[in-house]
Amino acid sequence: MSQQPHVLVIDDEPQILRAVRTILTAKHFRVSVAARGEEGLTLAAAEQPDLIILDLTLPDLDGIEVCRRLREWTQVPIIVLSVRDTERDKVAALDRGADDYLTKPFGIEELLARIRVALRHSAQSKASGPAVVRSGSLEIDLAEYRVTRSGVEVRLTATEFKLLAHLAAHAGRVLTHHAILTEVWGPEYAEHVEYLRVYMRQLRKKLEADPEHPEILTTEPGIGYRFITDA
Amino acid sequence: MPRRVRLPSTEQAAGLTAALILTAAATAALYFLRDWLETETVALLYLLPVGFSTALWGLWPGIGSAILAFFALNYFFVPPFFTLTVIQPKDLVALAVFLVVAVVISQLLGRARANMASAQSREREAVAVSELAAALVGLRDQDQILRSVGEKSFVAFRAQCTLITLRNEPGRQAVAFRLPASAPMPTTRPTISAPIQGMHGLLGEISLWLPHEPAGEAQARMLRTYATQTALALERAALAQAETRARILEQSDALKSAILSSVSHELRTPLATIKASVSSLRSGEVDWESEARLDLLAAVEEETDLLNHLVGNLLDSSRLEAGSLRPQRSWNVLAEIVRSVIVRMKTALRRNSLAVDVSEDLPLVPVDFVQLEQVFANLISNSVKYSPPGTLITIRATADEPGRLRVEVGNEGPQVREEDLERIFDRFYRVTAADRVMGTGLGLSICKGIVEAHGGRIWAQNVPGGLVFVFTLPLVLDGAAPLAG
Repeated sequence: MSQQPHVLVIDDEPQILRAVRTILTAKHFRVSVAARGEEGLTLAAAEQPDLIILDLTLPDLDGIEVCRRLREWTQVPIIVLSVRDTERDKVAALDRGADDYLTKPFGIEELLARIRVALRHSAQSKASGPAVVRSGSLEIDLAEYRVTRSGVEVRLTATEFKLLAHLAAHAGRVLTHHAILTEVWGPEYAEHVEYLRVYMRQLRKKLEADPEHPEILTTEPGIGYRFITDA
Repeated sequence: MPRRVRLPSTEQAAGLTAALILTAAATAALYFLRDWLETETVALLYLLPVGFSTALWGLWPGIGSAILAFFALNYFFVPPFFTLTVIQPKDLVALAVFLVVAVVISQLLGRARANMASAQSREREAVAVSELAAALVGLRDQDQILRSVGEKSFVAFRAQCTLITLRNEPGRQAVAFRLPASAPMPTTRPTISAPIQGMHGLLGEISLWLPHEPAGEAQARMLRTYATQTALALERAALAQAETRARILEQSDALKSAILSSVSHELRTPLATIKASVSSLRSGEVDWESEARLDLLAAVEEETDLLNHLVGNLLDSSRLEAGSLRPQRSWNVLAEIVRSVIVRMKTALRRNSLAVDVSEDLPLVPVDFVQLEQVFANLISNSVKYSPPGTLITIRATADEPGRLRVEVGNEGPQVREEDLERIFDRFYRVTAADRVMGTGLGLSICKGIVEAHGGRIWAQNVPGGLVFVFTLPLVLDGAAPLAG
C-alpha cells in the first residue's frame, strides 16, 4: 500500500461522487470514480485500488454482479452503498464477497470509519491474520482454542467457540446470517437464523460486560453480526 | 329463410294411419245402422271422424280421413251400393258438398291446432327467456354469466352439449365455456348456433348439439334470444367494471393529491431549515467557533434524518398500496430490534425520557427486521410528536399470552377520543389540525399495514395520563415454532 490509500468509487449519481471525492481527497485519499459498472470493473483492473466503494444501483450492471465479478480475481475490500429500496440487495452483495455496507444517506464519519476498518482488515489478511484477537478485556487465541476475559479462562462449548472464532477471524467485517450459518453449521442450516440467535445470546452472556448492550458482538440490523476488535 | 315444405314424418304417418282406422271404424258402425239412417244423416255423421282426426293428429290425417269418408259414403251409402258409380245428380252434388265441407273443416281445425301448438311453444320460450333474463340480471362477472347461460340453455334445449365462446378482445382473453365440462368436445358441427352480438361488434357465439336433428325455426329463434340476453348481460358487466375502475382511479387520484399536498408541506419544512442553516454558515456571518455554528449544523443533520424518515414512510406507503410490502420473516430477537431503533432515533428522543422493558430472554419472534424497525420508529416518532417535552415514553414487551408477543409503546401525551381511536390508523387521518403537528399522516397506517402483514393486530388505547399503542405478533412462522431455543 502506498502512503496515500487509493479508493475507487463506483456510483452513478454525480452528487454522491462529487461529495465523496471532495471529502476523501481532503482526508488524503487518492480517489478514482466510475459512473458505470463496466467502467468500474475496467478501472479496478487497471488501477488496482486499495478499496472499492460500490453503489448497488448502477445503470448498466447490477451492483451484486459487479461484486461477484470483482471477487473472481481480487480480494480488495468492497464497501457497498444501498438505499432503502435496495436494502435486501446488500445482503446478497455481502454474501457474494462484499466486506461492509452503508445505507444512504450516511454520515461521513461513518464512511471514514468503515474505510479505516476495511483497509486494516485487508492489511491483516495479507499478513495471514493474527493468531490472537483482542477486544477490550477479551482475548481469543485462535490457534490454542482458548478464550480469556480479564485473564480468566471462559469455558465455551465446541459450537460456541467455532462461532466466536469465525467472527473473530473476520473481525471488523459484517458477516451475514447466511454466511455464518453456512460456515459454522453447514449449508443445510443456512436459513435457520434461530440457531444463530440462540448461540449469540449465549456467547454474549459469557463474554459481554452488559449482554443487553453488546460491545464486542454487535448486531447488524437485519443483516448479521460483526466482531468489534481493538485497533 | 323460405319456409320449408316438410316431408311427412313418422309421427304424421302414424297420425294418418290412425285417422284412416278411425274412419274405417266409423264406416263399420254406420254400415250396421244404415237401415235406420238416411244418407244425409250418414254424411253428417261422417264429419265426426274427420273432425276428430284433424283435432287429434293434424291437418293431413284430417284430409286423409275426409277423402276416405268420401269414398266410403259413395261406396256403402249412396245407391247403387257397393260401386263408386253415382246415378242421381242430387247425390253427386251431396257427395261433392260433403268432400268440400270435410276438407274445409279439416283445414280450419288443423290451423287452430297448429296455432295452439305454436302459442304453447311461444309461451314455453317466453318463460325460458324470462327465466334467463332474471338469472342474468344480478350478474357482474363474465364467468358467472357464461355459466348461467350455459346451464339454462343446456336444460331448455335438452342439449347434449353446449358451447359458449367469447372472442379475444382488448382487455379480454378468448374464453370458452362448455357443458358438460367433463364430456369430450363433440367432433360434429353444432346443430344450431347463434352469434352473441354486442353494441360494438361480435362478442362470441353460442353453439348447441341437440339429440334430434335438425333444429326447428322456433329453437333457432329462442337461441337468438338467448344470445341477445347474453350480449346484454356481458355488456352490462363490462360497463359496471369500467365504472368501478373509474371510481378507484378517482379515489386514488384524490389520495395522490392528498399525499402530494401533505408531502410537499412536510418536505419543505426540513428543507427550509437546512437551506437557512447552510446558507448562513456559508455567508461567513456565523463565527467559525461559536455555539451558533454547532446548533446550525446539528439542525441540518437532524432535519436530514427527518427527511430520510419521511421518504422511507412514503416508500412503504406506496408499497402497501401496491400490495408489495411483503415481510421477509425470520427469527429475530425483539430486544435487538428495539435497541437498533433507539440508536437510530437518538436525536429525536432527546426531549423525552425513555423506559425500555424488553427482555433479551423473550421468545424469538418471526418478523422482518427492517419492517418492524419501521413500526417502532413510527410509533416512537408519533409519541414524541404528540407528548410534551420531558415526559416519559415507555416500550415494553411481554409473552404472557400463549403463541403471541404483546408490545406496548406508551406516552404521556393527550388522550384520543374513543371514536377516533380506530381512525388514527387511517391514512392522512389526524386528530389535531395538520398545521399544528408535523407529519404526513402516514406513519400509523404503515404500522397497521406491517403488523397485519405479520399476522398481528394493532390498536391504541387511552390509559390514565396518556395513550398507549399496543400490537401483537404471532410467535409461529408457517405454523411452526423455531427449531432451536
